[in-house]
Amino acid sequence: MKKYAIVLLLLIAGLTTNAQTATKEALIKVTGEVTTPLTIGNAEFQQYKQTTVTRKDRDGKDHTYSGVLVSDILAKAGVTLGPELRGENLAKYLLVEASDGYQVLFALAELDRGFTDRTIILADKVDGQPLVPADGPFRIIVQDEKKPARCIKQVTAMKVMFAK
Amino acid sequence: MVGIASCLAMTLCEWQMGKTQETQYKQSSFQRMGKICLVLCLLFAIVGLTAYKGMEQVVPMGDYVFNYPANFGNRINVPADNPTTQQGVYLGRLLFYEPKLSATNNISCGSCHQQSKAFTDGRALSIGVNNGLATRNSMSLANLLWARKFFWDGRAASLEDQVAFPLTNSHEMGQSVQVSIQKLSNTRLYPGLFKIVYGDSIITGDRIAKAIAQFERTLISANSRYDRYLRNAYKPTDDELKGMELFSRGPDPEKGIRGANCTHCHGGPKTYLELFHNNGLDSISKDEGMAAFTGLVTDRGRFKVPTLRNIALTAPYMHDGRFKTLDEVVDHYSEHIKQSVSLSAFLQGESNEVGGHSLKLLPKEKKQLIAFLNMLTDSTFITDKRFGNPHQSTKN
Ligand code: HEC
Ligand code: HEC
Repeated sequence: MKKYAIVLLLLIAGLTTNAQTATKEALIKVTGEVTTPLTIGNAEFQQYKQTTVTRKDRDGKDHTYSGVLVSDILAKAGVTLGPELRGENLAKYLLVEASDGYQVLFALAELDRGFTDRTIILADKVDGQPLVPADGPFRIIVQDEKKPARCIKQVTAMKVMFAK
Repeated sequence: MVGIASCLAMTLCEWQMGKTQETQYKQSSFQRMGKICLVLCLLFAIVGLTAYKGMEQVVPMGDYVFNYPANFGNRINVPADNPTTQQGVYLGRLLFYEPKLSATNNISCGSCHQQSKAFTDGRALSIGVNNGLATRNSMSLANLLWARKFFWDGRAASLEDQVAFPLTNSHEMGQSVQVSIQKLSNTRLYPGLFKIVYGDSIITGDRIAKAIAQFERTLISANSRYDRYLRNAYKPTDDELKGMELFSRGPDPEKGIRGANCTHCHGGPKTYLELFHNNGLDSISKDEGMAAFTGLVTDRGRFKVPTLRNIALTAPYMHDGRFKTLDEVVDHYSEHIKQSVSLSAFLQGESNEVGGHSLKLLPKEKKQLIAFLNMLTDSTFITDKRFGNPHQSTKN
């Protein structure tokens, strides 16, 4: 009996640790040429001003994505946007990485309101629903870009760097 | 003794000649000195060689120049503190094939990474010291020069970091670095070689790892029929061409386009993109894969997308070696993708049938896809003498 109890206990312990690993939250690290490195989870994400972008997905239909401007996140991290985006700072880029290792980059000027009206957001919802696990929890959505290749899914890191 | 003397002469002259080169255009007397030095050096070398013929080979010296096609790109990964040199590669190759690095003196890296099998071992799970089973399938070592994350779960950040694992793992070579250092120090071969490579004969774990990593970076495979096709030097058969088309195209049944969409993960001239995905082998993967250290449900059963180079030579397949043939692999993608939260988005709803859940390829298409996969075999890579076991020709 005692033996069984111990086995049972171990089993439960095993299950709960498993459950713990299973509930770990996906985070985004913002690093590189920043004054304040950031770690963004759902709680931090919700503190930014929310906005929406509509674009066609692979099904050919329009979808409404909601989330926050990438430039707002970078501004909070102290990246040289706005009036500071001149001179050598124009040789900076943002490298976005996904959990599968996929990487895409944006020149900082592509993200700055002073240069373009095209909106690039970090989305957490599509048509009001959280993104499905294979796409989320966070995905970049580039307004009007013809190919979806830079709408990188499962974002885990954003790094601002100087082109060498 | 003479060997060491000639080595010393070589390094001395190298240094002198380096100096000469710098000042060459200014002073011709230095040039003369260089010449004298060269003659002296040659003399020493000849004496050394004749005295010790067959005992020691001349160690090639200088920077190692990587040769690869331009379409592989230059995003190579060589750490600043371990530049690749010919002497380093020479030492690394000896260490890669050195059974003294195992607890039982009979297993080397080359046991589980055999050149004839594109540096795999033909087993589902590799066998290490005392017949212990490794927990995963051995991986091909080709074109690692471009890789940035290593192992099936990508847990090692460099080849230098990676080496410590097989050396000390109780299912692989099972010997502490301390003991390895001891054993190498007691040979006639290694202390002198470490001196040539690192400037003094001290053997450390770090130096062992660096030399092996240098050798591994030279394992470049770039001469398969596919490579030759890409440089317009080979005309593919009809099946190979159709297979290539299927491999690189996504299916779109509504438009009547048939495809297998492999390029998404295995694409590019290297057939390697350094991605990590769950390719639908299990609904609950026994091996956690990346989730073991990220703790995310979406990383469960997520593994490195391995290179498909020489894939016909590296059976059995997948991280646990579950598939014995390429037919079984293609059947998997065609019919048996298992749904789960971590299943890659690239494998969801990809089908040649409207509303289908896996590819549903026709028997003929499977044959064509496999004809393409066979194009990736590089027979020069598996017979290249620079990559083979050097110990047969060197006594130690
Ligand atoms: C007992 C068999 C065995 C031995 C011996 C062995 N390996 Fe491996 N090797 C493996 C297995 C199995 C894996 C995959 C392990 C994993 O992912 O956890 C692997 C993976 C690797 C990788 C990763 C490749 C990639 O694409 O990520 C490298 C590099 C490597 N081995 C090099 C070496 C070196 C160098 C040695 C000698 C110091 C060595 N191996 C000895 C079995 C072995
Ligand atoms: C979503 C990305 C993805 C797609 C698309 C994909 N694969 Fe894979 N492939 C993988 C991953 C990940 C592995 C390793 C999985 C494992 O071992 O758990 C793999 C393994 C393989 C292997 C075994 C390699 C080895 O060394 O064991 C072969 C062969 C292969 N894939 C062929 C194909 C073919 C052919 C296609 C197209 C029909 C294809 N793959 C499509 C991700 C993908």
